[in-house]
Amino acid sequence: MTEGPELFGYINGFLSAGFVVSAAFFIKFWRRTGERLFFAFACAFLLLGIAQPLPMLLGELGEQRPEIYLIRLAAFILIILAVLAKNVGRR
Amino acid sequence: MGKHSAVATVVYLLCLATSAACAGLLFRAWRRSHTRLLLWTALSFGFLTLNNLFLVADKILFPEIYLTPLRQASAALALVVLLYGFIWESER
Repeated sequence: MTEGPELFGYINGFLSAGFVVSAAFFIKFWRRTGERLFFAFACAFLLLGIAQPLPMLLGELGEQRPEIYLIRLAAFILIILAVLAKNVGRR
Repeated sequence: MGKHSAVATVVYLLCLATSAACAGLLFRAWRRSHTRLLLWTALSFGFLTLNNLFLVADKILFPEIYLTPLRQASAALALVVLLYGFIWESER
């Protein structure tokens, strides 16, 4: 049994909003501390928030274009680079 | 393996690998600094790694099985953990 399109869309919207709210928190931490790592996290979570509903919004087109998951991949790579840069800066 | 191309397979596997790397780096950073926000973020990325694992399973390994609820639940857990951490740490 699969979930209906309304429920699927609702949950996807909830997840997308969650990522964007998380990005807002990271922006707050960045402004409070000046730590650039938080800014990188904010950008990454914003990318995740954008990427989350794309497969659903693009429908059949999304199924044919797995490259849209590159946005999600870019978010994770951004975080890896930010953490590594922080570690290098510490040394 | 389903209808997906080699490019799609690589992209999904890279998402899994990079999210796991994020979780690992964040756990290591937390162990060094004991900053609680890092712990919550690391746990969140653990769940995002699980989400990507389900993505790989859904698209590549078991396309005939309906795994969307597991994908959504793991992403939701990632966000709940992270937002709980944000709110808890803001009160300290």
